[in-house]
Amino acid sequence: MSAPRLLIANRGEIAVRIIRACRALGISPVAVYSEPDRDALHVRLADWAVPIGPAPAKESYLVVEKLLDAAAWTGASFVHPGFGFLSENAEFAQAVIDRGLIWVGPKPSSISAMGSKTESRRRMVEAKVPVVPGMTTPAKDADELVRFGREHGFPLLLKAAAGGGGKGMRVVRSEDEVAAAFERTRSEAKSFFADEAVYAELYVENSRHVEVQVLGDKQGRVIAVGERECSLQRRHQKVLEECPSPVVGPELRARMQAVAVAAAKAVEYESAGTVEFLLAQDGRFYFLEMNTRIQVEHPVTEMVYGVDLVAEMIRIARGEPMSLPEVLDPRGHAVECRIYAEDPARNFAPSPGVVKKIRWPGGPGIRIDAGLEEGDTVPLDYDPMVAKLITWGEDRPKAIARMISALQESRVEGIESSIPFFLELLADPDVQAGRFSTQFLDTWKYSGHRQPEAGLEDFALVAAALDAVGRSGRASLLGPSDGPSAWRTARPSYGRRD
Amino acid sequence: MKYSAQFGEGKETRARAIEIPREAAGPKVDVVLDGKNALWEVSPMPGGGYSLVGPDSRHAEATVHRLPDGRLRVHVGGDVFEFEFLDELTARAQQAAGAKGKRKSSDVKAAIPGRVLRILVKPGDVVTAKQPLLVLEAMKMENDVRSTRDGTIRSVEVVAGQAVGAGDVLVRFAPET
Repeated sequence: MSAPRLLIANRGEIAVRIIRACRALGISPVAVYSEPDRDALHVRLADWAVPIGPAPAKESYLVVEKLLDAAAWTGASFVHPGFGFLSENAEFAQAVIDRGLIWVGPKPSSISAMGSKTESRRRMVEAKVPVVPGMTTPAKDADELVRFGREHGFPLLLKAAAGGGGKGMRVVRSEDEVAAAFERTRSEAKSFFADEAVYAELYVENSRHVEVQVLGDKQGRVIAVGERECSLQRRHQKVLEECPSPVVGPELRARMQAVAVAAAKAVEYESAGTVEFLLAQDGRFYFLEMNTRIQVEHPVTEMVYGVDLVAEMIRIARGEPMSLPEVLDPRGHAVECRIYAEDPARNFAPSPGVVKKIRWPGGPGIRIDAGLEEGDTVPLDYDPMVAKLITWGEDRPKAIARMISALQESRVEGIESSIPFFLELLADPDVQAGRFSTQFLDTWKYSGHRQPEAGLEDFALVAAALDAVGRSGRASLLGPSDGPSAWRTARPSYGRRD
Repeated sequence: MKYSAQFGEGKETRARAIEIPREAAGPKVDVVLDGKNALWEVSPMPGGGYSLVGPDSRHAEATVHRLPDGRLRVHVGGDVFEFEFLDELTARAQQAAGAKGKRKSSDVKAAIPGRVLRILVKPGDVVTAKQPLLVLEAMKMENDVRSTRDGTIRSVEVVAGQAVGAGDVLVRFAPET
């Protein structure tokens, strides 16, 4: 009998993560790939690989029929959506089920209940889960947003109703910003989530983002697996997460977990999910949204609670009861840094291209979830997150110290990455003390001028001179040329087809 | 070969001088840094960059990146250094020409690689500085490309849907009359 097969409707590091969960359970992983991803790590690690079209996600990773055909062609019996792309698309989940396949995720009805932010808020109010004041239906036009702002006061947070992952959100601080922000958010919502519905809610300043991991099985059990602190965000995109939150003690944890479980039960939740809360300075917390999928930052929970959440999702999808006890105790502390292909010194400009050199750190308490290897190309078509670095320690200072040395040991060359940004961020006294809100990174600025060790500048000059001599040597052989810079050659070769 | 490294911008600039042999093949390279002579041990690394052992046996890895504006960014271990790096002749010519003769650019270039999502202007349009000219999409974010100055658009060098690299010309201005 051949091993059951699981199709991964995703790419990058989460596809690699799901492949590892498949291996742990004796399942044979099926990868799909767009044209630029033919040589991507998730394809190299899979047992099966199916092309699904050109680079734009709309023509590949977002095309339901192509994914279903790939599953049929390879005889896959499971489909795991990962995060992003179609992971929170109830129609895709339903289409998978209608083809007689097993959907590794919550029921389509749970996804649609939580997928529309306005609908989920209504359901949460019914379930007595506290929510932030906001619109209960998408805005028909900019005027409706202006009226909401006049009634509740600015600033507002504009959100794509079908959004997630920090995309398609905008803070609007005054009436005259509304029209432009509405148009831009709508356009992003349409291109990323294929749904241009946009709504607004009150923007609570200086709050924290704390979320609770939940797991439900088909036997009707729902448990919470601790919380994660995700307040360090840039443009509403999480950059560094930790478990547990430095401001959540056992009492608050118990209350947040109870509310999270109630929220999940209100939509008959199965599989892994995350209930996101806004934690105000006064200790009150409000439901923000529920992500009905595995979360980018799930590894910090796995490190602290000693669980494999992705494998648990597959077990649950198979109809087995989850393998975890009712109460789990946290052990130590974990931190995750999202490694983005962005240039922190150039206002985080995207930095796709060929990764000429990679070295990941090693040692006790260190975990790397990466979607690429040395020599790989980071395409410009997808999310810039290329890897996650996770460290564990007996307490928060030890986990952070371990992260700093892990970042120093890491090399990602050829593209720019957020590694220098994290080294500077983790040296900040407020970050080390856990004193921050979701606004922290709006004002904290990367300077790029972390005081380097005396004498290291000499090394920079020697390297520059060696490089220049090497270049002039080449120039004399190959004719006059200023030599290709890393930035110019960064252009993916498929980019100029037309 | 003699080079000059210029750190900082505007008023707060400082320069350092370095000289290495034209045939710096290693492993031992004679380096003159700010007039002082020292022997460095150099080992090129696969994939680019150098493993360097300084005269006091301090070791570090360094990789050199060229930025779109021509400056260098050098990673040394976890640290980053950015500076302008010119050979002696060019540095002297620049000095002679007075400050870095900033020509008024007649092009708008892409600061980042991306895909052209929308074009907001056409040839003949009169635009003002900072006016959005087109929208680039890269890695799921939309980025406005704004005009660098007041002027009249001569040509738009890209079409919607096209992929562009950092430094590619997007829009050209008509010469000023």
